[in-house]
Order: sequence, then structure tokens, then C-alpha cells
Amino acid sequence: MYRIRFHGRGGQGIKTAGRILGTAFFEEGFEVQDAPIYGAERRGAPMFAYVRAARAPIQERGVITHPDLVVVADETLVPVPAANLMLGVTADTVLLLNSGETPDTWRQRLNTGATVIALPVADAITDRAALPHIGTRCTGAAARLLGVISRAALERALRTELRALDDASLKANLDEAFRAFDAMAAHEGVVHEGAAISARAYEAPDWTDLPFEPARVAAPDIFAPATSVQVRTGLWRTMRPVIDYAHCHRCVWVCSTLCPDSAIHVRADGAPEIDYEHCKGCLVCAAVCPPHAIQAVPEHEAAKIEAGGAG
Amino acid sequence: MSDAIRRMKDLPSTHLLGTGTPMCAGCGGLEALHQIYDVLGTNTVFVNAAGCMTLLSVYPFTPFRGSWLYTAMACAPAGAQGVRDALDILLTSKRLPPEDDLQTIVLTGDGAAYGMGLSSTSAAIDRNLDFLYICYDNEGYGNTGQQSSPATPHAAQTATNTGSRGFPGYKKDLFGIWAAHRPAYVATVIGAEPLDLAKKIEKAKSLRGPRLILALAPCPTGWDFDPAESVEIGRLAVRSGVWPLKEYIDGKVIHNHVPHPRAPVEEYLKTQGRFAHLFSPERNDALLGEIQAHIDAYWAAVNK
Ligand SMILES: Cc1ncc(C[n+]2csc(CCOP(=O)(O)OP(=O)(O)O)c2C)c(N)n1
Ligand code: SF4
Ligand code: SF4
Ligand code: SF4
Ligand SMILES: [Mg+2]
Repeated sequence: MYRIRFHGRGGQGIKTAGRILGTAFFEEGFEVQDAPIYGAERRGAPMFAYVRAARAPIQERGVITHPDLVVVADETLVPVPAANLMLGVTADTVLLLNSGETPDTWRQRLNTGATVIALPVADAITDRAALPHIGTRCTGAAARLLGVISRAALERALRTELRALDDASLKANLDEAFRAFDAMAAHEGVVHEGAAISARAYEAPDWTDLPFEPARVAAPDIFAPATSVQVRTGLWRTMRPVIDYAHCHRCVWVCSTLCPDSAIHVRADGAPEIDYEHCKGCLVCAAVCPPHAIQAVPEHEAAKIEAGGAG
Repeated sequence: MSDAIRRMKDLPSTHLLGTGTPMCAGCGGLEALHQIYDVLGTNTVFVNAAGCMTLLSVYPFTPFRGSWLYTAMACAPAGAQGVRDALDILLTSKRLPPEDDLQTIVLTGDGAAYGMGLSSTSAAIDRNLDFLYICYDNEGYGNTGQQSSPATPHAAQTATNTGSRGFPGYKKDLFGIWAAHRPAYVATVIGAEPLDLAKKIEKAKSLRGPRLILALAPCPTGWDFDPAESVEIGRLAVRSGVWPLKEYIDGKVIHNHVPHPRAPVEEYLKTQGRFAHLFSPERNDALLGEIQAHIDAYWAAVNK
């Protein structure tokens, strides 16, 4: 059975990526299971989708914990604990990263014996308009790595699952998927089917017994104010707004009022300051700043500059 | 009491609503809510019906500094009645000093405000409940994937209207339905016009009885646009006359801003994927004309 996990962010088309790959498998005569998993959080928050495909009926259910292929749509997810990219990754797993960096760099950084392959289109997240295509890119690349999905089956699956799109968007998605499919030619068939997992091997988790408490104690009451500040929504960001203080007019009532997330504070000296722990990178502030004093910088580049500056 | 807000410079520079919420990047509803909260302050109990904003407070995290409570989708005004009654009992029995009294706020989406919760809202207004209803109107059932609601505009595509003509119905006039009850105050606002919004919240705060703040909430996820466009789309909604900024007070409706010249509605529609079918594969002049005619008729009646 093939077990594949796609990791990305809400809004990148990861759910659709899983569906397209599932349909492509189906076109090739496989039995298929695919499902997305996301929580209460929204666009920009980490999420994943998984696909199982086999030549026999699939009895396995639930999240894939022994992946043969893990596809990472967005390298900025790597340090995000909630993304849980490395769940069950072993030396037998293939890890495909949408990244401008080399596989060796990633093998070291992740300290993994897995086969790492980079899908090198460095400008992928510099251009926000390209976001919805990331999913289809990943599908195209994954299909080639699996080696059991033909170009024709991939195309039929894309056309089926993206049938609601207009002609121009469909074409852009097809082009993106095939470019990735072709780019992975050297790695065709690198992913191997994982062995069957026996139900006998199932290990029950360690249960923690909770006493049955009266509602006054057990009800989920929150007694502290604004506890949400402990949630680092800054990790959702793929683009970072950066204020150029030399050109900033200190009209803070504009950016600090219009930031949907209250992530722009007004300092004692009257200057605006962005709270990068929480800024989600919507770029509303950059769009509304009258003198255009806020620039959008791709997060991976900003992080690199920061790391360089510190070192 | 704070000094009156007259100019942009007077807008609060300290933000009370906590960061780190699970709302989408660029959420127009959250933008309005944080501005409203800055003016209302923390002496508030929010009674929230199911919708996107229910996820603001998911144990153990909340952005609120005051109280918050969750009700079923149709029942938030009934929940508010219970909260108000409890506060009143505490006040009359002198177990709560008057300065510790709390404002009772209902917070719901349009699905609850225009549809499922309308009957309990009407009953609460009939009982002259002292509460402020805040509706963030993203024109659909956003939390469940943007199905159509009674607030969905004509011709918009939703998860339940995927055809080339979009939603066949017309947006319900909730402002008019509220005004017909003769409540204390009704106002439309939008986060993209923060000064107008802040003035109206100050006014609502100074009044007692049933009050509605209806905020159009540009929704990048449900309306399909780049989150960075959220404010520009809100401003266009006002400039094109799609979203009139108005108040009902003392039995009269006042338009706070009559757009002049009014931008063609096309400019607004073009910014959102939910209306893309009106422009491609070919222009639907008949439907575009119908939408424009509706808006023209509205403003012709206002200007009479
Ligand atoms: C009685 C009932 N029916 C259906 C639901 C499922 N539900 C949860 S949120 C939601 C959408 C609410 O739409 P709206 O009020 O517009 O708020 P939004 O999600 O757009 O913020 C629905 C249908 C529910 N919670 N309760
Ligand atoms: S809107 Fe722009 S110029 Fe004005 S304070 Fe903010 S960053 Fe500075
Ligand atoms: S990008 Fe700007 S407007 Fe958006 S959350 Fe960050 S600081 Fe706020
Ligand atoms: S779906 Fe729309 S209303 Fe709901 S959180 Fe996202 S942007 Fe806001
Ligand atoms: Mg809604």
C-alpha cells in the first residue's frame, strides 16, 4: 500500500492536492482513500492531507503514521511543531520539499536518514498569486516519484478535480503540475510501497485516568484575560511586513487600527511596531500605508537575514 | 468616560482584543470586532452564537479581557436575556456595585442574525432587552464553508450556488427589519471606515435598550480574494453604494455618507472570486445591469 502525506497551509490547495493524487491513483486502477485534516484555524495555519492507495481493498483508517512519501508544500512549516512533518518518517520514507535549498541541507537540518528531494522553485512563495498552484505542483511531483501514475492519468485527475476553474486557471494548474512531473523524471519510482501493518502491532496509547469532577470544576472556564496571546499565529506567515521607519509618517491610526489582528502596537515615541509573534502576514497594513512605508518580504528570506544578522 | 472621537487621530491606540486568534489572515470581521472592542471596553459580556467567531474562545485561549459565553446558533439573544436578568438581580440586591455592571453584547454572524436567530432576536427587542447586537456579515455560512445565507448578495457564488448565475435570492434587509421594531439604535458599519465605526459604537454605548451594529465583513476565504485586499474591498463596498453607511435613531434613518460620485458596482464585484463568473468566460451584461439597477434604485430613493 502507498501511504502519502501532504503538509501545507490553509489556502495552498493541499486538500485538493490530495484529492487529485487520489483520483489519479483511481484512474490507474487503485483502491483509494484520501482525506484532509485541519483544525479550527484558518487560511495560513498548518494543515495536512493524506492518501492511501492499494491494489486491494484498504482496511486501514485514520492519520498515516508510517508514511512512504511526505510532501512539504511550504518549507516555512519545518520549524512549526504543530505541523508535525516528521511523524513516522524513517530511512524508508521519501521526503519531498518545495524548497530552494539542497536536499543535503535539509537532511542535516532535519537530522533524518530519509531520502530527501527538493522541488526547486525558489520564487514559489514570493508571489502570492502562485499560492493556489502550490498544491498542484506537489501533486505533479508526487505522481512522478511514485512511478505508477502516467501523465495521462494525472491529466484526467486534474481535469476532474479542477473542473470548476475557468480555462486560464485550469491551464496554469496543468502547466504547474506537468512542470513538476517532468522535473522529477530522474527520481521516477523512488517511493516504494510500505508493508501491510498488522492490527496486532497496534500499541494502545498510555491512558491517563481523569476523575469525574463536578461541572464547577470540569467546565472549560477561562479565568485569565487575553490568553490567546500565547498562540504564536506569527508562524502562519509566508510574507513579512517590514516598516521602513525612514519613510513612516507616524500616522499610526491607519495601520494600527486597520490591522485585523491588533498586531501593530503604538510605541511610546508614537511609532508603529509590528508584533511578529502574532502578525499573520495578511499584508493589509502594506496595502493601506499612505506613503508605502511597509514592504512585504518573503518570510524565508526575512528569517535568513535575521539569522545572518544575529550571527 | 473617554473623550469623544472626532478625527482619525482620536482612534484608540491601545488595542484590547488579544492577538493570536484563529481567524483567517485578513478577516474583515475580526478587523471590525477589534475596533469595536477598543471603544466598548472590557466591561462586557459577549454572548456568541455558533459561527467563525465562536472559535475566538476555544479553551484555554480567549482574546477577550471580559466575559464570553457560547450559545446555540438561534439563541444568542435569549442567552443575553439570561445574562442581563442575572446582572439586574445582582444590582437590585446590592450584590454588584453599579460601577461593576457589564454591557450585554450579542455577537453572531449573518447566518444567525438574518436567519436562524431572527425569531429570538425579534422577541428580545419586543421585551426591550437592554443589549447590543453585533453582527459581522460575511454574507454566508462562513464557518461551515460559505454556504448561502439570507445575507448572500444576488448572483454571488457560494458553496451551495456554484452555477453560472450564482445565488438566485436577494440580500435580506436586516437593517429595515430591526428598524421596523422601533429599537433604540441600528447602524451599519465596516472595519475599513474606522472613524464612522468608532463614532457609532460610542453612540450605541451611550444608549440603552435593543441596539444593532451591522458590520459588513469582507471575508478573503469565503469571497475569494487576497487577504491584503480586505480594506480596499471594504472601501469599495462603500464607494460603490453596495454597503450604505447609515443609522436609525429616534424613528429616523440617516445616511452618514452618500457616495458621490458613486463607483460602478463592477469595480467592487471584480475584486472577488465569488463574482468572477459575471466577467468570464464572457461578461454577463444582463446580470451586471440588474445588480447596478438595484443599487441605483436604492440611492434614488435615499436622495428623493
Ligand atoms: C442549529 C445549528 N445548525 C447548524 C450549525 C452548524 N453551524 C455552525 S457555524 C455555522 C455557520 C454560521 O454562519 P454565520 O452565522 O453567518 O457565521 P459565520 O460562520 O459566517 O461566521 C453553522 C451552519 C449549528 N452550530 N447549529
Ligand atoms: S500607516 Fe505607514 S506611514 Fe502610517 S504609521 Fe503605519 S507604517 Fe507609518
Ligand atoms: S500583515 Fe500587517 S495587517 Fe496583517 S497581521 Fe501582520 S501587521 Fe497586521
Ligand atoms: S471565513 Fe471569513 S469571516 Fe470566517 S474567519 Fe475566515 S475571513 Fe473571517
Ligand atoms: Mg456568515
